[in-house]
Amino acid sequence: MLSNDIPIFQQLAAQIKDDIVAGTYADETAVPSTNEYAVFYRINPATAGKAVNLLVEQGILYKKRGVGMFVSPGAAELLLAQRRDRFTTEFLTPMLREAQTLGIGPSDLAAMIDREAVSDERH
Amino acid sequence: MSSVVPAVKLHLNKREMTFLVPLYIIGMVALISVLISLVFLRGGSVPGSEGWLTGSRNNPAFLWAFPGYLVYLGVQSIATTFPFALTLGATRRDFVAGTLLWAVLTSAYITVILAILTMIELATGHWWSGFHIFDIYILGLGDLSLLVPIVFLGSLTCLVVGGGFAASWVRWGARGPQLIATALGLVIVVGVIIVIPSAESIFASFAAWWLAVAAAVAIAISAVGAWLLLRPATVR
Amino acid sequence: MTNAIEIRAVTRRFGRVKALDEVSFTVPVGSICGLLGRNGAGKTTVMSIISGQDRPTSGRVEVLGATPFEHAATLSKISYVRDNQRYPDDYRLHHVLRIAPEFAPNWSTDVASELVDGFQIPAKTPIKKFSRGQLSAVAIVLGLASRAPVTLFDEPYLGLDVSARALFYSVLLRDLATVPRTVLLSTHLIEESESLFDRVVIVDRGRVVVEEERDDARELALSLSGVADVVDRVAAGRAVLQSTRVGGLKSVIVRGPGDSDILNAAALHGVQVAPASLQDLVMAYGTHDEPATTTKEGVRA
Repeated sequence: MLSNDIPIFQQLAAQIKDDIVAGTYADETAVPSTNEYAVFYRINPATAGKAVNLLVEQGILYKKRGVGMFVSPGAAELLLAQRRDRFTTEFLTPMLREAQTLGIGPSDLAAMIDREAVSDERH
Repeated sequence: MSSVVPAVKLHLNKREMTFLVPLYIIGMVALISVLISLVFLRGGSVPGSEGWLTGSRNNPAFLWAFPGYLVYLGVQSIATTFPFALTLGATRRDFVAGTLLWAVLTSAYITVILAILTMIELATGHWWSGFHIFDIYILGLGDLSLLVPIVFLGSLTCLVVGGGFAASWVRWGARGPQLIATALGLVIVVGVIIVIPSAESIFASFAAWWLAVAAAVAIAISAVGAWLLLRPATVR
Repeated sequence: MTNAIEIRAVTRRFGRVKALDEVSFTVPVGSICGLLGRNGAGKTTVMSIISGQDRPTSGRVEVLGATPFEHAATLSKISYVRDNQRYPDDYRLHHVLRIAPEFAPNWSTDVASELVDGFQIPAKTPIKKFSRGQLSAVAIVLGLASRAPVTLFDEPYLGLDVSARALFYSVLLRDLATVPRTVLLSTHLIEESESLFDRVVIVDRGRVVVEEERDDARELALSLSGVADVVDRVAAGRAVLQSTRVGGLKSVIVRGPGDSDILNAAALHGVQVAPASLQDLVMAYGTHDEPATTTKEGVRA
């Protein structure tokens, strides 16, 4: 579930972000407590707290005193915008580099993308 | 926060061993005494006669039955209970104090039971049949002022001396009890060598209270010894 | 007071053998700290000393600000069941459950019965006849239900199967949320337990070789693996803690953080590189037949 290559708190933070983007936790709804995360993922409560604090610093979550952690309004939008920003560097650039290595030109690549998109829609 | 009372409770935790086993032992001794009396009865001895009385009153069954149990109880009170007491969080000081307190309580319990049974035996005219189970020499012939110190000091000695040996085992391992037994043997032999020339006059002036003093000394040495042995003892 | 456990230059000799040699480490209040190392490294001796069951030959140990040996108030705040714990003659489970609360002011009957049910500890069998796993289960009941502010677990899962271990983890984490406490846990099941720890102490032959926050321990060493001579080239200039060679393939654990130099070199030569796991670290420090190692001194990243 959680691996050794990346620090656990970063993995958990990424997991929570994915859940927010996927709509599992809507704006202004509560996310599980640090201790629930600790028990569920079988991790140290301080580690879980570190992940949650990271998200608070990034404005994704906010704390209601005595109640718990909530998804900040517009968090999903914010995360989506960040992902869009990273889409070029994380997906397009490596793909173009690999395509170049394989001798696939930009127009061939565009055609491949169209074909994949159509077959993906049928599923 | 003292753990003396919890330590006493720890010893009393095995309720059957503490409270019921003495009753079983007394029951067994009573049963055997009655059976032997029946043998004599069938052999033609008359209850209440001179020979009957001498025979019954010399019954040593309690002497065979009780010390084994009490010494075992004393040994286990330290040998296997000490490491568990430390695990539970008792201090060595409180554990030793609690163990002594428990030994006093256990001795008192046995004393009270034997005193009550002796009173019943006397009140019922020896169970309406002339059987002497408790009205015997080693229990003071029905005299409570003798029975109480005999049973109490006797029990306490067995418990505390057993605990003393166990403490040496906890501290030094198997060598401990061997060392103490050897030292004790040497002291006795040397003592005998010293006093043997005047043995006759000593035996002539022997009095029962010597035993009480000897028991008190044995209890004191064992209790202090157990404390000194356990105070720095570690569990491994 | 921020440290639950403070050990300063503790040495413990048994005759001529030094079981602990100038051991120092601290465990902050509220931490779950892993105490790792090979058999005979000194883990049990350290725990015996922390719990006041043993005393150091020299050095100081403080638990919640006091020396635990013969200190009643401190001892009542510590729970430590030895891996070879002896119980009084003829003890059965109910004897343990009846007496433990007398010594443990925070004892939770609910936690105890949940664990007894979950582990299916037999009620009628004398403890003397328990299997290794059943003995471990009793020790866990005592450790968790005591809710002691400082709780020590020495190899808590010997003989326990995977579902019993899962029960231990979930009750531990859930109950820590209810009643926070400091936990020091020694184990050989490092991969399974490491996500529990926020801090690790690795001991080897009576010395502390690593004392780090869990996330910082990732920076201590790298694992490199690939074709032998290429791995050697990438590892050049780093202290090699351990190396394993199978045919033409080699994997090594080298000291130090994964800085860009070594990461680039590894990428260039097709060598796989990853932060060393705790298990790698324990193995690396526990290996003494390797040449060119300097494992005896402590490592600071």
